[in-house]
Amino acid sequence: MHVPDGFLAPTITLPAWCAAAPLWYWAVRRNFGTSSTESLPVVGSLTALAFVVQSIMIPIPGGTSAHLTGVAILAILYNPGVAFVCESLVLLLQALFFGAGGFTVLGVNALAMGLLGPGAAWLCYRALRRLSERGAAFLGAYAGMQVATLAVSLVLGLQHRLSPAYMPVPFSVTATAMMVPSLTVLGIVEGLYTVMTLSLLRKVKLVGPR
Amino acid sequence: MGLVEPRRSQAILVAWAVLIFALSALTGLPALAAASAAALLLFRHGALRELRRVAVTVVPLSLGLSLASWTWLWLLGQPPPVAPFVALTVRAGLIAFTTFSVLRRVDLLRALAPFPAASRMLVLCLAQIHALRLLVTESALGLRSRLPRKPRTRDVVRSSGAVTVALLTLSARNARDIGDAMRSRGFR
Repeated sequence: MHVPDGFLAPTITLPAWCAAAPLWYWAVRRNFGTSSTESLPVVGSLTALAFVVQSIMIPIPGGTSAHLTGVAILAILYNPGVAFVCESLVLLLQALFFGAGGFTVLGVNALAMGLLGPGAAWLCYRALRRLSERGAAFLGAYAGMQVATLAVSLVLGLQHRLSPAYMPVPFSVTATAMMVPSLTVLGIVEGLYTVMTLSLLRKVKLVGPR
Repeated sequence: MGLVEPRRSQAILVAWAVLIFALSALTGLPALAAASAAALLLFRHGALRELRRVAVTVVPLSLGLSLASWTWLWLLGQPPPVAPFVALTVRAGLIAFTTFSVLRRVDLLRALAPFPAASRMLVLCLAQIHALRLLVTESALGLRSRLPRKPRTRDVVRSSGAVTVALLTLSARNARDIGDAMRSRGFR
């Protein structure tokens, strides 16, 4: 669901950068200090896994593409701050080396896919984990995917409202094209991926019990 | 241009960031055509290679998105004007071309040298991605060699559990080794 470079004007991308920059600073300071030595290998592995998962993209009408994010697991295992930094790193690497997403839209993509989505996943997981850990992880990842997708489609819709000459696709088309695959397929696959990865991590004891 | 000093690399990166934000504001086809010509002239050395890269990585997605959106709108009613969709694709391609051309001229790791934590994270992730890709390729080859026919989706899904366990274990070990090695060399 990346927004590619050139799909959003600086009227949106610059404020998004201004909003994301202090959050990056805060999240890095809080989660990646000297005390993160033990967790860094797992975070690095999951970041790389998220990178691979996000590399498989299907273009859809409305200005973006459909793919899994694979970062809800980071929010569930650690916190949304870790997911935000890792997803931003994935987005930066994709933008710089693989031409996916982009540098100008990094703030928008990071806030939507790295903060709002994983934030929703984390809240959902925290609220439901007493009932069933796997169920909570699945629902959290599903909800996170929907929130991130909705956020991206809202931004693209806003761009169309601000300047149709810049972004010629209206919100109704963008939202339909993005939300239908997200609600029916991608959210479920993201949920299953998260549950599977969580179980595997517990099995190989890469992450200690909560 | 070969490898350059960290400060010069940093200055080029800042100029590139300003430039692509400026390019992302262009909407008219004449302005985009002029900017494309200027970019081609400015980055003429290795331009063919970067154009090929843009054609492989960026154009299919942008063009696919534009075509799908245009067809969708056309099916819903009147055919929409083509110019904004062309501009969208050109703008995306132009920004990508500029980015690839600039990045080929700077050493990113050298530019990040004054920030050891950022360097460590970057190296860790790049190494992980490389290791992960190798493992996925090897797993796919292994699966293919074990089956008398081409692996189907069901075969891939069945084997994915075992592959993911190996992948996470190896990946974490790899990350730990690289992290320790970098820390011992002064990266915090």
